[in-house]
Amino acid sequence: MNRKSADIVVIGGGVVGCATAFELARLGCKNVVLVERNTIASGSTGRCGAGVRQQFGTELNCVLAREAVRIFEHMDEYLDYEPGVEFRQSGYLMLAYSDQQWEQFQRNVELERSLDIDVKMLTPEGAREIVPFLDLEGMVGATFCQTDGHANPFHTAFAYAQAAKRLGAEILTHTSVMDIEVENNKIQAVVTDKGRIATSAVVNCAGAYSAKIAKMAGIDLPVWGERHQILITEPVEAMMGPMVISFHHDFYCQQTPHGSFIMGIGMPGEPKSFNIRSSVDFLEGMANTVMKILPPLGNLRVVRQWAGLYDMSPDAQPILGECPPIEGFYNANGFSGHGFMVSPIVGQAMAELIILGKSSVDISKLDAGRFERGELVFEPAVVG
Amino acid sequence: MRLKEHPILDFPAGREVVFTFDGKELRGIEGEPIAAALHASGVRVLRHSPVSGRARGFFCAIGNCSSCLMTVDGMPNVRVCTEPLKEGMVVETQKGHGHLPID
Repeated sequence: MNRKSADIVVIGGGVVGCATAFELARLGCKNVVLVERNTIASGSTGRCGAGVRQQFGTELNCVLAREAVRIFEHMDEYLDYEPGVEFRQSGYLMLAYSDQQWEQFQRNVELERSLDIDVKMLTPEGAREIVPFLDLEGMVGATFCQTDGHANPFHTAFAYAQAAKRLGAEILTHTSVMDIEVENNKIQAVVTDKGRIATSAVVNCAGAYSAKIAKMAGIDLPVWGERHQILITEPVEAMMGPMVISFHHDFYCQQTPHGSFIMGIGMPGEPKSFNIRSSVDFLEGMANTVMKILPPLGNLRVVRQWAGLYDMSPDAQPILGECPPIEGFYNANGFSGHGFMVSPIVGQAMAELIILGKSSVDISKLDAGRFERGELVFEPAVVG
Repeated sequence: MRLKEHPILDFPAGREVVFTFDGKELRGIEGEPIAAALHASGVRVLRHSPVSGRARGFFCAIGNCSSCLMTVDGMPNVRVCTEPLKEGMVVETQKGHGHLPID
């Protein structure tokens, strides 16, 4: 390793780390180093469901997602990325299966509309106009936002990483963080298996492993890994526009631009772990559910399945910002299954916070201190 | 082209059946792979690559390679190299990745 020092070390080469490194460099920080123990997008980013939605139940999540979508909309130009990140605004169709859920959806829509997010409320028949083969049994209503959609997580992370490099950031893959040196509550250095990097600031974007990184700096961070599984089918011609999602069944399903269907479902009782092995009961549960709600998909063959980790936090919300008492230790983790979709705005907000001392989108409520203060931010609309 | 004699394989006489390929009536032996019946009738192009558009023919013959995916009786992505031929089958060249029936 040639470099012996950095202004800021970003830990984690997922989409959040790459976006943060890019935005730091864009704000003029010339000495950014990103450290990734494997390869770019090799962890949760490359394993995620690729959805981008703005339909949330808290103002903060709606605003973060809305701003992220605005960046996604012109990301190929913003990052000068020729292959494209494959952002498609084919919408999110959210299905409600009880009156209580429908009431929550209506409250969400009211909030979303007040924040300039255009969401339609639909009857089950109206939902069927969007997805003609949707099974309506038990469905009470649905909401639809056309500007939601999906993007390619690999391309998005690569786009940020390449753009960061062009602005002078250094990206060290296959480099593991072994320790973080702290003196008088100030960051001194990040020690990797390839050498020591003297620095006064660290951004912890290590996903499910963020608690391990925080521990190195003497911080107890309430973030843990939780396995979530996904399968992908053979491709067919485009037949389903939006991401279809149901909290009742705890499942989501989308057709990628390639034509494959990607789908995931929450498995009850999934323990805290770093386990990313696939299981056959997921395959069975997933198939049973999707065949009930989207019956024609029963004729598709499953091509493969995989698992990844949600980086869970106690209120299923991201942990963003500096982490007292350690000066220079910043968190951008705990995304709890909706990290990819907000990564563009999180990168911007983190960089603004670190370089300018204040972010244009107010993320102060998402600091790690909220757990001690008892100010948890519960989001009613999470899946998987 | 159809082999009738082979040093180590036997070809038991089967029932001749009629099927269609892109609307054209063809004949084959019941139970043989659809691809074999097509090959015997001179059909060499089974699909076109959805990416490059180039012709794809009979290749691995064991259901692994995706070269022979066709739409059979309305169902896309059927591996005709392993799917047995039945009387009256409707075999069609697939457009792109094939259309999944939704009814």
